[in-house]
Amino acid sequence: MSAVPLLDVTDLAKHFPAPRRLADIARGHRPTVKAVDGISFRIGPRETVGIVGESGCGKTTTGRLVLRLVPPTAGHIRFEGVDVASLRDDALKAFRRRAQLVFQNPFDALNPRLSVRDSLAEPLRNQGLPRPEWDARIALAMQRVRLPDLARYLDRFPHELSGGQLQRVVLARAIILEPHLLVADEPVSMLDVSVRAGILNLMREARDTLGLAALYISHDLALIRYVCDRTIVMYLGRIVEDGPTEEVVRNPRHPYTRALVAAVPVPRVAQSRAPLPIRGNVPDAREPPSGCRFRDRCPQAMPRCAAEDPPLRDVGNRVLAACHLL
Amino acid sequence: MDALLDIRALSVSYRARSGAVHAVDRASFTVPAGSVVGLVGESGCGKTTLARAVMGVMPASAQVSGDALLFQGVDLLKLSPRERRRLAWTKLAFIPQTAMSALDPVYRVGAQIAEVLVERGGFSRTAARARAEELFAMVGIDRARLAEYPHQFSGGMRQRASIAIALALEPALVLADEPVTALDVIVQRQVLDVLKDLQARLGLSVVLVTHDISVVAYACDRVVVMYAGRVVESGTAEEVLERPRHPYTMGLTNAFPDLAGAAHTLVPIAGHPPALDYPPPGCRFAPRCPFAQERCRTLDPSTEDAAGHVAVCWRAEEAELLRIQAARVETWAAMG
Repeated sequence: MSAVPLLDVTDLAKHFPAPRRLADIARGHRPTVKAVDGISFRIGPRETVGIVGESGCGKTTTGRLVLRLVPPTAGHIRFEGVDVASLRDDALKAFRRRAQLVFQNPFDALNPRLSVRDSLAEPLRNQGLPRPEWDARIALAMQRVRLPDLARYLDRFPHELSGGQLQRVVLARAIILEPHLLVADEPVSMLDVSVRAGILNLMREARDTLGLAALYISHDLALIRYVCDRTIVMYLGRIVEDGPTEEVVRNPRHPYTRALVAAVPVPRVAQSRAPLPIRGNVPDAREPPSGCRFRDRCPQAMPRCAAEDPPLRDVGNRVLAACHLL
Repeated sequence: MDALLDIRALSVSYRARSGAVHAVDRASFTVPAGSVVGLVGESGCGKTTLARAVMGVMPASAQVSGDALLFQGVDLLKLSPRERRRLAWTKLAFIPQTAMSALDPVYRVGAQIAEVLVERGGFSRTAARARAEELFAMVGIDRARLAEYPHQFSGGMRQRASIAIALALEPALVLADEPVTALDVIVQRQVLDVLKDLQARLGLSVVLVTHDISVVAYACDRVVVMYAGRVVESGTAEEVLERPRHPYTMGLTNAFPDLAGAAHTLVPIAGHPPALDYPPPGCRFAPRCPFAQERCRTLDPSTEDAAGHVAVCWRAEEAELLRIQAARVETWAAMG
């Protein structure tokens, strides 16, 4: 990782009010869900980082916090050295230009009444880029997402494009302002396998040629592995492991990561069908276990795990993990 | 091989404004007794329609025809709607993609299972309650939770409950439509293991409809691959996934990331499936196939059966060479 991080997240938390049950009302209790509960990580320039985890682990909320789409309950996000929460007016506008979101569902991401050209021109207009540059910028973005035939695509409307073409246009829109950071939440989950491969290859190319950093958020570890240099694993609002992707996949340290890696089916008949090293279900996010949040599902839990919250610390080979066993 | 289900040239078409849409076109395959068969393909390939046609749950606008649809030797196409309904749930059962469409939100889960047992299985109330408890034990849910409502269940538990409902009357065949697609990977594995375990213990046959070839590789004995309404390849999971003979199956396997293997470059298939109201002549995959020849674009491909590994492709005998070429991105890139 570079000495000057592009993105520096420290002790970030986001708590949402949870629906009150009858018992809560009787006790005057206002329950909260700690969707993100004290996470820290950095992303260096040109670094591609994936956040992986199951529903409710806080990965989507993390992405929204990073882009300042929701305010944090606590903690700080520094982008290029500046606290994102402090940004106003022109500085905020510049941040919006430099940190771009790729929408999950390409079928909803574009205004159905705008042609591809108008969809791509919109961010250029919003950011006040000189009009004579528009056509060249649009052409460049389309070329980068491998839709170089402008005559064929620019005057089309979203309903006239296939899912794969739409997602390419969505990606073109995200990179047209030459952002420094791309945040994509489940960027291919709506696409069929054969089309998905093309988008994943584009994301890899973006990493290798455009010089931007990216935060990819997905439940799919195989996808994260394909495009990300580094992988962060989240469980119930916390980071449990953070390391070089191949290390995390090949030699998972945290017991939760081990279960997650073991659970991913592979497209070959010869594969392990051994019982997963995990018990029970994800607990109620309103009342997570004391100490380590994974302890009630962990096959190796010890008394210490209930008493002490394990910190995320260096366990060697550039891997951080939060587990008393390591 | 003892076929529990033998589908012969089954077609399903829908009436639409533009004319007939042939969602399934002369599909043939068999489901041996006691096996798990994966029915795999991408959205719109007809896999769900085919499963629903076997189950006999189709909208009125659908027209089902074919040479035969033999279940335990009886041609389901020749049965009256009434006879068909009697078979559904007793001999054949269906697990939908989201359990919420199998479970009614306003009734307790236990009452819903009992309902199936009493109404369709002729159980008494008391016997139904005992059987419901037994079914919950089978799918690994605490019987105390029979008194709960569907919304109190997690996604994985709801899917287990719909497996319990499907198995209530001891069917011989279970058709499961993307039963684990909406679930997180750990829960997905747990539900697949429950389904596999019960299938083996009860000697059931399962048709698992899915878009995910890694789910097929994990859970299925045999695979049927569909493309644009047609079956293009079928055989044992090992044969079809490791030595595919149809270029579409080759494309699918090369487009899929493999977490346990080397991080090879994924190979996309350019283009998209044809509209089913005006499908292209000849092989429906020809417009996207890097190996297509003139005959592929004009004539329906021949069915090549090599010891039970069936490929519907003019060039199936060249499969070994085509597989090597299909693994390269450049081979397919030329189609874009």
